[in-house]
Amino acid sequence: MDRLNSVADLTRYRLALQRRRDPNMTEIAVCSDTGCQAWGADEVASRFEAELGGEGTNRKARVKRVGCMGLCERGPLVAIRPHGIFYQRVSAEDVPEVVSETIDRYNILGRLLYADPDSEKRFVYEPEIPFFAQQKRLLLSLNGLIDPLSIEEAIVHGGYTALEEVLASWEPARVVDAIERSGLRGRGGGGFPAGTKWRLTLLAEGPRKFVICNAAEGDPGAFMDRAVLQGNPHSVIEGVIIAAYAVGATEGYIYLRADYPLAIQRITTALDQARDLGLLGENILGTGIDFDIRLFQGAGAFVCGEETAQIAAIEGRRGMPRPRPPYPEHSGLFGCPTVVNNVETFANVPHIIVMGPDVYSLIGTEGSTGTKILALTGKVNNSGLVEVPMGITLRQVVFDIGRGIPRDRKCKAVQIGGPSGGCIPEKLLDLPIDFDSLRAVGSMMGSGAMVVMDENTCMVEVARYFLSFTADESCGQCAPCRIGSKQMLEILTKITRGLGTLKDLERLERIGHLVQRTSLCGLGQTCPNPVLSALTYFRDEFEAHIVRKRCPAGVCEALVLSPCQHTCPAGIDVPSYVAFLSQGDYEKAIDVIRERNPFPAVCGRICHHPCEGKCRRGEVDEPVSIRYLKRFAADWAYANQAPPEPFPVTRKQRVTVVGAGPAGLSCAYFLAKMGYKTTVFEALSHGGGMLDVALPEFRLPKDVLRKEIDYIQAKGVEILYDSPINQYHTLEDLRAEGFDAVFVAAGAHRSQELRIPGEQEGIEGLSYGLHLLRDVKAGEHVRMGNRVLIIGGGNTAVDAARSALRRGARHVTVMYRRSREEMPVSPYEFHQAQEEGIEFQFLVSPTRIERTNGKVTGVRFIRMSLGEPDESGRRKPFPVEGSDFFLEADMVVPAVGQAPDLSFLPADSQLERVKWGALKVDPDTLCTNIPWIFAGGDFVTGPSMVIYAIATGRRAALSIDRYFRGAKDPLIITDEKYHFIPEPPSRPEDLDQPRPRVEMPSLRPAERVSSFCELETGFTEDQARIEASRCLRCDLERMKEIESRSDTDL
Amino acid sequence: MGQELDLELLGEILKQFQPVRENLIPVLQAVQEQFGYLHPDAVGPVAKFMKIFPSEVAGVISFYSQFTTTPRGKNVIRVCRGTACHVRGGRTVYQTVRKFTQLEDGATSEDMRFTFETVACLGACALSPVMVINKAYYGKLNAGRIEAVLKNLP
Repeated sequence: MDRLNSVADLTRYRLALQRRRDPNMTEIAVCSDTGCQAWGADEVASRFEAELGGEGTNRKARVKRVGCMGLCERGPLVAIRPHGIFYQRVSAEDVPEVVSETIDRYNILGRLLYADPDSEKRFVYEPEIPFFAQQKRLLLSLNGLIDPLSIEEAIVHGGYTALEEVLASWEPARVVDAIERSGLRGRGGGGFPAGTKWRLTLLAEGPRKFVICNAAEGDPGAFMDRAVLQGNPHSVIEGVIIAAYAVGATEGYIYLRADYPLAIQRITTALDQARDLGLLGENILGTGIDFDIRLFQGAGAFVCGEETAQIAAIEGRRGMPRPRPPYPEHSGLFGCPTVVNNVETFANVPHIIVMGPDVYSLIGTEGSTGTKILALTGKVNNSGLVEVPMGITLRQVVFDIGRGIPRDRKCKAVQIGGPSGGCIPEKLLDLPIDFDSLRAVGSMMGSGAMVVMDENTCMVEVARYFLSFTADESCGQCAPCRIGSKQMLEILTKITRGLGTLKDLERLERIGHLVQRTSLCGLGQTCPNPVLSALTYFRDEFEAHIVRKRCPAGVCEALVLSPCQHTCPAGIDVPSYVAFLSQGDYEKAIDVIRERNPFPAVCGRICHHPCEGKCRRGEVDEPVSIRYLKRFAADWAYANQAPPEPFPVTRKQRVTVVGAGPAGLSCAYFLAKMGYKTTVFEALSHGGGMLDVALPEFRLPKDVLRKEIDYIQAKGVEILYDSPINQYHTLEDLRAEGFDAVFVAAGAHRSQELRIPGEQEGIEGLSYGLHLLRDVKAGEHVRMGNRVLIIGGGNTAVDAARSALRRGARHVTVMYRRSREEMPVSPYEFHQAQEEGIEFQFLVSPTRIERTNGKVTGVRFIRMSLGEPDESGRRKPFPVEGSDFFLEADMVVPAVGQAPDLSFLPADSQLERVKWGALKVDPDTLCTNIPWIFAGGDFVTGPSMVIYAIATGRRAALSIDRYFRGAKDPLIITDEKYHFIPEPPSRPEDLDQPRPRVEMPSLRPAERVSSFCELETGFTEDQARIEASRCLRCDLERMKEIESRSDTDL
Repeated sequence: MGQELDLELLGEILKQFQPVRENLIPVLQAVQEQFGYLHPDAVGPVAKFMKIFPSEVAGVISFYSQFTTTPRGKNVIRVCRGTACHVRGGRTVYQTVRKFTQLEDGATSEDMRFTFETVACLGACALSPVMVINKAYYGKLNAGRIEAVLKNLP
């Protein structure tokens, strides 16, 4: 191409290029940026070229390798223009079909379309795809459209239009005015007004002035600048030239990190092209203005993102920052006035000129105009690069654009701003993304690197991780950063290893604030942000590591042998029993379980299995069916093992337990195991507590529970039925009878009321959930309604609903006052209930029970809406005015919770209570204020899950034992392996071949509702062994490391 | 290790640059590009050429992570320890590579087959966890896949 010698030449050139375009040419744009190339985009593009180059070229189609389109999770990406058809995950093998079907015959290939993770709905056209629909792609508008290696394409699509306008008729001062008016703020992280920088540099005196484009982009997780440089390099060059014109600079640099080789290639080519065309160099477009840009390759130092450090690097020195003032605008590169701005800041400049600053400033918010490019990564479905208007909320980006968290997990926090930013907890996700709003909560937008975290991310480990980065990158010049970052890192490392103290948290805060206030540059000033914000919002996680040696996320290796065992409240050695099952050693499998849990058959049927949520296999395909395997082991044991011998009594003390529920019986069992003679007093005529009274038979058959209790009795636990503790037989009486300690686990059986008009005892058709379940279970005659309304959303509510259905109700609806996501009941039970025909309505609350002649006729409801989160972070529902409605019903079943009934305790009892009425106990020892009285389970916590009751029972047993022995140090329960470690699997799993779970055989919904038969029928031996072999034996990794004592920190 | 530096070739490279201070980093980059690393014997000639003290040259070399003063292996394995990779299981990659190569971060194997390094972010976050071997990217890694790739390296 010939050199252009005037502005008019450029105008003519652009028009000529635009006229030359063939409107009938189909363009196949293959994203060829770094991410898609790693997915294999190059092969895809080459394959297209091969296919199109062949015979039968009536086709007017050509392949274009384009810049980052942003949907990186779904690469390789192919867009067919001008139609706008968008294909994702295109492999080279797909190409011939794309050509023959879509290009030649306009047939869409469904399998290559984007499908939403939630709804499975497919989208054909790019603008419709939810990922794109909410974005505002201003800077990225030409990414995916043009070939970044072609200056002609850039010009055809408007590139250098702004430069044309500026050189034609704008004075430099007018350019600076425009940038000031636009409100453009630096996009590298600092957010300083660009116009002010330019004005200061324009006003500064000196023979030489410089413009530096900061393309150091060092934040981990940041690749925004790279996408602009690699997708539309001329937009950046244009911005730099305009800046140079505005301030009077004749020399420019692009400081580009050496480890961006593709960007280096493309920018180098673009610079050469611009020079050849006369847009750069001497006498630009015949205006007499000289300006050229040199490419400087950054040799690898995060601190060189700071402007004075960057200047030092370009000058050939060690990249250490210096104090400011003087600012680079007055004394910068080689002591001359210098503008240093970020890539994205420069890329905004042409848009401001072309649309005008006033129109530009309409985008975004008043304090933060324009758009921001964000790199959205981590635990998010649509990971990639997005451009959004300032002011959009974090929640919108994570859920509307990113489509939420994979595997239906919960979002825990979002880290934005890289090592300078803070973590923002889920409850604050409605904050807008802009320069100022996030600072108020201890974070900052920074460069735009946004990492999403879920419940399996440990916030202590994340804080440690960021500090290890900044401590490494600290230039070492100033003591606070050099020493402070290292000290904070050492403390955090200690905490993740379970060696921290509570004083360490104070130290972290002190050092952190000191480093923030006294460091020389931005790196030091912001490096404490991740840990300080984690301490603000997730202090409980730090305390768990320190006080209880627990990592709630199941991550920190020094504390977690395997995530499943660590998460299990009872600490069952899951990998061992699963491995024994896979090897056919069922004896050992059940023995492992009984070390920690005397209710394997119960838990194998109804446990809410937090272990499966942390199972690492779940990251590959599906978690191991730990619960169902427990059931298999238990059922095998009861079918094949002889009745056991009792535990020997080796201790002289006697212990008594009040309540033969899971907490009480577990406590008694573990006490017996330790050699104590234990007696359980149970008020009812059967044992099992809620398991007996409330749990429906189709989930837990009576005889299964009975076998478990028989086993516990056979091991030496004495149970006395029909023996309540009350005013005739008090706790003091027990003491006098020779019991040395008592564990009170009387459960929570008192139904909570709705407290609405019409809720009167004795009216026909009103039956509390727990009572209904109890009567059904006891075989009592229950007057079942036709149209039944269940009020509530927990296990009791859903169990009551499913029981009602089986007892003949025609229509059963569960009415819950919050949303589906907040419902306590487990997803699979919800699903089973729906399959059985139960309806659910959300965000509805009852206001009045209507009745006629003492019989229920229906219920008035009002619709609810979720408001702002309260202190706990849960969004509070509030009624919507005027939205009330009436539902006919002949039976209403309130199931809104249970409370412990303390009325059996004497009125003058010395036992301390907590605010809401339950007994006050020490959380570790479970001791009340009276040394020999312990309490736990639902009786203390309110309704909870069975595995917590079992864990509490064991904790109480250990605690009582320590009380007898006079132990004073805190009771810390850590994970322990079974005394015999099962062999590793003979053949390691091929994780490239996903192997989903073995499906649990179940009755079909139609079969289920006609009876109370157990609906899941259990694994066969083959099924159990196959399922058990899916376990990855995470414990073995840890065993080797514990043995070799190696240091595994990054 | 212990190889002789070709001083003549070094001289050829230096001649391509103006001996001004601001060319120090580009000079060092060119030397490393040619020889694969910065031999300690190169410090003197570079300092003399640039008319600065050898300590200043050494100071710049030690500051920037791009520069290495020991030769690198045939397969330079860089495991990403960026945030997204960290959150999506980067430690498994780190440990698997470490175990396989028997090397610590930054080391090169005796037979010069592997160099093992970690880097703070490779910018391919959608594919996390990621490693790069020479110029090839490998993403969506798990222990099995990592071992398969490593076994097949020359």
